[in-house]
Amino acid sequence: MENLKDKKILIVDDEPEIRIMIERFLRKEGFFRIFTAADCASALSICHTGKPDIVILDVMLPDGDGFSLLSSIRQFSETPILFLSARGEDEDRLLGLGLGADDYIVKPFLPRELVLRLMVILKRVFSSPVVERLSAFRLGEQIIDLDSAVVHRNDKELPLTAKEHAILVKLYENQNRIVTSDALCQAVWGDDSYGYENTLMVHIRRVREKIELDPSKPIHLLTVRGLGYKLLVKEIR
Amino acid sequence: MEGIIRILRRFVATTIFISIFLLIFNFVLLGTLVFTENYQHPSPEGMVKQVANGLEKQDDSFQLDEQATELLKQNDAWAMLLGEKGHVRWDYHLPHDVPKSYSLVDVAKFSRYYLMDYPVYTSEHKDGLMVVGYPKESHWKYQLDFLPDWISSLPLRIVLLLLCNLALALLISVVIGTRLIRKIRPLVDGVHNLAREQESVQLDAKGIFGDLAQSINSASAILQSKTAALQARDEARSNWIAGISHDIRTPLSLVLGYASEMEDHSDLPKEQRHQAGIIRRQGEKLRSLVSDLNLVSMLEYEMQPMHLKPIRLSVLARQVVTEFLNNGLDDRYVIELKLTDEAVQIQGDEKLLLRAISNLVQNSVRHNSQGCKIIIEASLSNDRSHYLFIVRDSGRGILQEQLAEITELHYSTRRKRPDQQGHGLGLPMVARIAKAHHGRLILASGSDQRGLRAVMEFPVQSQNGKVDNEEI
Repeated sequence: MENLKDKKILIVDDEPEIRIMIERFLRKEGFFRIFTAADCASALSICHTGKPDIVILDVMLPDGDGFSLLSSIRQFSETPILFLSARGEDEDRLLGLGLGADDYIVKPFLPRELVLRLMVILKRVFSSPVVERLSAFRLGEQIIDLDSAVVHRNDKELPLTAKEHAILVKLYENQNRIVTSDALCQAVWGDDSYGYENTLMVHIRRVREKIELDPSKPIHLLTVRGLGYKLLVKEIR
Repeated sequence: MEGIIRILRRFVATTIFISIFLLIFNFVLLGTLVFTENYQHPSPEGMVKQVANGLEKQDDSFQLDEQATELLKQNDAWAMLLGEKGHVRWDYHLPHDVPKSYSLVDVAKFSRYYLMDYPVYTSEHKDGLMVVGYPKESHWKYQLDFLPDWISSLPLRIVLLLLCNLALALLISVVIGTRLIRKIRPLVDGVHNLAREQESVQLDAKGIFGDLAQSINSASAILQSKTAALQARDEARSNWIAGISHDIRTPLSLVLGYASEMEDHSDLPKEQRHQAGIIRRQGEKLRSLVSDLNLVSMLEYEMQPMHLKPIRLSVLARQVVTEFLNNGLDDRYVIELKLTDEAVQIQGDEKLLLRAISNLVQNSVRHNSQGCKIIIEASLSNDRSHYLFIVRDSGRGILQEQLAEITELHYSTRRKRPDQQGHGLGLPMVARIAKAHHGRLILASGSDQRGLRAVMEFPVQSQNGKVDNEEI
C-alpha cells in the first residue's frame, strides 16, 4: 500500500490558499509528487506532460468550469478525478458524478475527509487487481464465511440460504450499527418490499439458529425493538 | 362558459318579465286614463233618451222638463223633434243652418253620422224622432261593425296577441342579450385570466365596453410587472444568499482545514489544541448554517427543485432514529417510536423529509441538554385525509409566546423579538419543507405544559397516485 503515496496528484483550484493548504496536508500524509494549477489551460497542459495519477478539481475556474475540463481530460486519459467545489447543490453533484468523476466533495471540507476519500479512490484504482472477495469473520465460536455462504461451527458446515446470506452481508457491511428492518427488507427483496417484516423475522430466526449458541438469547445478532437489527462483531480477520 | 349562459338566462327572464309587466300596465292605463274621458258626462245616447223622456206633449205644444233643459244647456246642445212627415215639430235652440224638414234619405244619413257637421244623436219619441245635436267638432262619430265569429274568437285572439308579444319580447331579449354577451365575453375571459395570473391579458379596447377593456388591460399589465418584479426580487435574494454562502465556503475551508490540523498537531500544547478544536467545531457549525441558510432561502422562494416520489414516512422515521443511535446518542435521551398506518405513502422528496424529521429530533436533543424522552408518532388523521407525523419530547419546551414566531426566519420582519433561546434554522426549515409538500408544521406545548410537540401534517396520496387535495 505504500506505493500509493508516490502517485502523482494534480490540484486544480483558482484559490492559492486552498492549493497551498491541500498540498500541505497531502505532503504531511506522505505524498510528494504534487502538481498545482490555477486554471483549465495549465491544468490540461500538466495532464498532457505530467500524466498525474489523480486530479483534485475545482468546479469554478477563471477560464472555464471543471465539468468541461473533466470532459477534455477524459478524451485522452482515464485518470481518476475528485471534485472539490463550493457548489454544493444536488444538481452540481449529480452533474459532476454523472460526467464520470470518482467523488464530489463540497467545500468547506475537513482535510482528513479529503485524504480519506482520496485514498479510497487510489486504493480502488491502483491496488493489485485481486478478485474482490467477501469477508469471512469470527463471531464467538463460529466463523462466518460470506464468500462461500457457509457458517463453520464445531467442525460442521452450515450452509446459508440466499436470503440469509443477503441479510448477513447487509448486517456485516453495517457491523455494530443498527440496520433498520426497512433497509434489510430492501436489501433482500428489493424496492417496494413493504410487508416483508414478518418474513424477515422468520429469516432472522433461522440465521440465529446458525450463528448463535442459544438462538433465544442472542448475543451477536441483536434485535433493536421497533427499529431493526444489529450485528455485533468483535474480531475481524 | 357556464357564467355567460347564466347571465344570458337571467337577462332573458328579466326582459320577459318586464315586457309582461309593461303589457298589463298599459292595459290598465288604457282603461283608467284614456277611456275614462268619455264617461265624465252622461253619454250622448243617454242624454238623447233623457231629452226624449223629458219632452211631454201638452195639447198641441211640447214642453221640455227642467232637468233635460239643464242638461242640454250644460252641453251646449240643441234638440228637435221630427214628425211623421219629416217636419220639425218642436225644437230647442235649433241652429239657423239646420233645415226644418227632412226626407227619409236625409234622416237615414244623419242618424248615423252628422247633420250639417253637427254630431247628432237620435232616439225614438212617441210623437216622432228626437234629435239632439252637439256643437260642431265636439264629438267624433264612428260606426263599428262586428261579425259574431269575430266576437266569439276574441278571447283566442287576445291570447294569441299576448303570445305573439311574448315571443317578440323573447326574440328581442335574446338578440340583444347575445349581442351584449358577445361584447362581454372577452371581458369576462380577461378577468378570469387576470385572476389566474397567467400570461398578460390583451383585450380589444373598441366597442361599448372599450374603457372597461382598457382598464382590464392596464390591470393585467400592472399585475404582470409586479409579478415580474417580485420574482426578480425573490431571485435576487435567493441568488444573493447563494452567492454569500458560496463565498463563505472557501475561507471556511481554510479555517476548518488549519484548525483541524492544529488540533491534531502533537507538538502544540494541549491548551492550544483545545482552542483549535473549538475553532474547528464552530467552523463546522458555520458550515452547516451556511448550507441550511441556502436551503431555507431556496424553500422560502420556492426555488428548490423537488424530487418527488411515493414515500412511507415510517421508513424515514426509523432511518433517522437509527442514525441518531448509531452516531452515539447520549443515554440521557430515550427515543420511542409509535408508528401506525405504515402502509400510507405521501408524495415527497426523500432528502428533504429526512432532513425535516432529523431536524425535529435534533431540536429536541439540542435544547434539552439535561436529557429527555422523545416520542415519534405517525398515523393517519381521523378523517384519513392527512398523515400526521408527530415528534414530541418531555423537555423544557418553548414559551407559549415564542411558539408562534419560532418558525419565522431570524431576519424576518414578522419576528418581533430577537431570538433568545438560540434556535437555529432547524424549525423554520421544517416548516418550509412541510409547506413545500403541501403540508404544514404545527408547534404546541406538550400535554402537561412541558416539552414541545411538533406536528407535521401531509396530504395523503390516494390510490391513483395523485395527491388528494390538489395537484403537485
